[in-house]
Amino acid sequence: MSHTTTRLPAQSAKARRRSLALRPRRGPGRAPGGKATLWHCLHAEWIKLRTMRSTLYVLLGTLAFCIGLAALNGSSAGSEFADLSPADQATFDPLATSMQGYLLAQIALGLLGGLVITSEYGVRTIVSTLTSVPHRARVLASKAVVLVGLALPVGIVMSLAGFLVGQGVLSGAGAPHLALSDGVALRGIVGGGVYLALAGLFGLALGTVIRSTTATVTTLFGVMLIVQAFAPALPGRVGDWVLKYWPPIAGGQVVTSYQDPALLSPGAGLGIMAGCVAALLAVAFAVFRKRDA
Amino acid sequence: MIEVCGLTKRYGEVLAVDDLTFAVRPGEVTGFLGPNGAGKSTTLRMVLGLDTASSGTATVGGRPYVAHPAPLKAVGALLDPGAVLPSRTAYHHVLALAAGNGIPRSRVNEVLAEVGLEKVSRRRTGTFSLGMRQRLGIAAALLGDPPVLIFDEPLNGLDPEGIVWIRSLMRKMAAEGRVVLMSSHLMTEMERTADHLIVVGRGKLIADMTMRDFIAAHSQREVLVRTPQADALRSLLALAVDVRVENDDTLIVTGLEAAEIGALAAAGGMELHELSPRQVSLEKAFMQLTRDAVEYQADKETDR
Repeated sequence: MSHTTTRLPAQSAKARRRSLALRPRRGPGRAPGGKATLWHCLHAEWIKLRTMRSTLYVLLGTLAFCIGLAALNGSSAGSEFADLSPADQATFDPLATSMQGYLLAQIALGLLGGLVITSEYGVRTIVSTLTSVPHRARVLASKAVVLVGLALPVGIVMSLAGFLVGQGVLSGAGAPHLALSDGVALRGIVGGGVYLALAGLFGLALGTVIRSTTATVTTLFGVMLIVQAFAPALPGRVGDWVLKYWPPIAGGQVVTSYQDPALLSPGAGLGIMAGCVAALLAVAFAVFRKRDA
Repeated sequence: MIEVCGLTKRYGEVLAVDDLTFAVRPGEVTGFLGPNGAGKSTTLRMVLGLDTASSGTATVGGRPYVAHPAPLKAVGALLDPGAVLPSRTAYHHVLALAAGNGIPRSRVNEVLAEVGLEKVSRRRTGTFSLGMRQRLGIAAALLGDPPVLIFDEPLNGLDPEGIVWIRSLMRKMAAEGRVVLMSSHLMTEMERTADHLIVVGRGKLIADMTMRDFIAAHSQREVLVRTPQADALRSLLALAVDVRVENDDTLIVTGLEAAEIGALAAAGGMELHELSPRQVSLEKAFMQLTRDAVEYQADKETDR
């Protein structure tokens, strides 16, 4: 084996010289066979996503946050449960209690989705990306696919970890809790993962249109947290409408086990979020194809 | 071959590139010259499909850049050497580009070795000097072994050894029958490297000719004459041509060949100690030309 490996560099050097020597015989501009495909572009985008340092940090940090918040929330809600009024006990939501981490996780995955493209504009690698693959719809589609390929399983893991830790703590405190075998648990965990993947795509679409990391993060905070925090303060009908239909709030219904009659069902809420992300992605594709790099 | 036909880029009122038409042929190094803001980079970006032309066409090997099935195998380009994610390694930067065109992993190591980065290929590019990033950009350009190479300011940040390396690389690539287009502000390097010149100013084509013709056309040949009878020779020649006094015994004559000066001096019985045609540099010719271009523009504006 060592014999062959020591000979390798010499062989490749020879092969290179041969390939260069052959080149002039090819007519100018006639590229050799081998058409670049969507598959190649997906591979390239996957390499870029996994070699971006922020990817690992963002995901690990968010996972830790989801678990930590589920434990804290579970223990405080569990110890307070006995003191709640019967009405509040009836609407107690063990699923939502363990899933509060999604509030920050959606920002984190939105940021990751945004970085997939804004990091390229930030350091101008968008130039080499688009000279390598000038087919712009293919580039953006590949970014979206690899992002979902990472964000969906990671989102499910985050939801699952929050669920297990949160329900464990609730059960330890003697409060109502869910088991994995409950139907609502599976919907919350998978739905939570889907929601986080949608948040990632939302960030990607925003980042494509805005092109700046800072502005993308600011917008994410505004859309996903600030509106949610101030919606109750909005006057009557407007406030109710926002609480019911604002996409991140509606989408968040998927991690609740108590159905508030004033709000959308988990399925309908997630559908609104998905529709909004799809619309924004369509805008992002149109802008990305048309604009100078 | 790179063919640019009626290429125009308009940003609002401003014409960055104005009806540019030229062709870059294989087998020689073509220099792309022009003062700052002349539209060189915008032209290259349109050739590479990064910017959309307001009108006109740019093709590489007979088709628009974006129509190539695997662009890196058709054109290798170095546009901006700073364009690397600092936290990514050199290897992964090139690997991602290779993957997008289905170029094998082995070729990545090959080009990194070819530009002399094999030892640092696993280091993050944030730790690289400008010269190393320049080499990384060249590695990426060579990746697909393309018949067309485009280098925008490839000499920036390179040390003298790097400059010699890139000059011989470009000469070699041209000798292999490739199209090599290179822009640079370093006139002496351009003069040593390029065979052909395309010069633009204010988005317009100013010249498209061989290096030799360009220098000849845009400079007047000067002859240095050293003689103890400088005053006499000067009054003799100054009737017909332009004579500059360099010092007590030296004149610079413009507008006559060395042989003609020698003959006139002999006829006048004057003693010559030196009679030598002066080499005119690309730099001088370029300055002369751009000065003309500026004056031409100014004239046109006053005419209106």
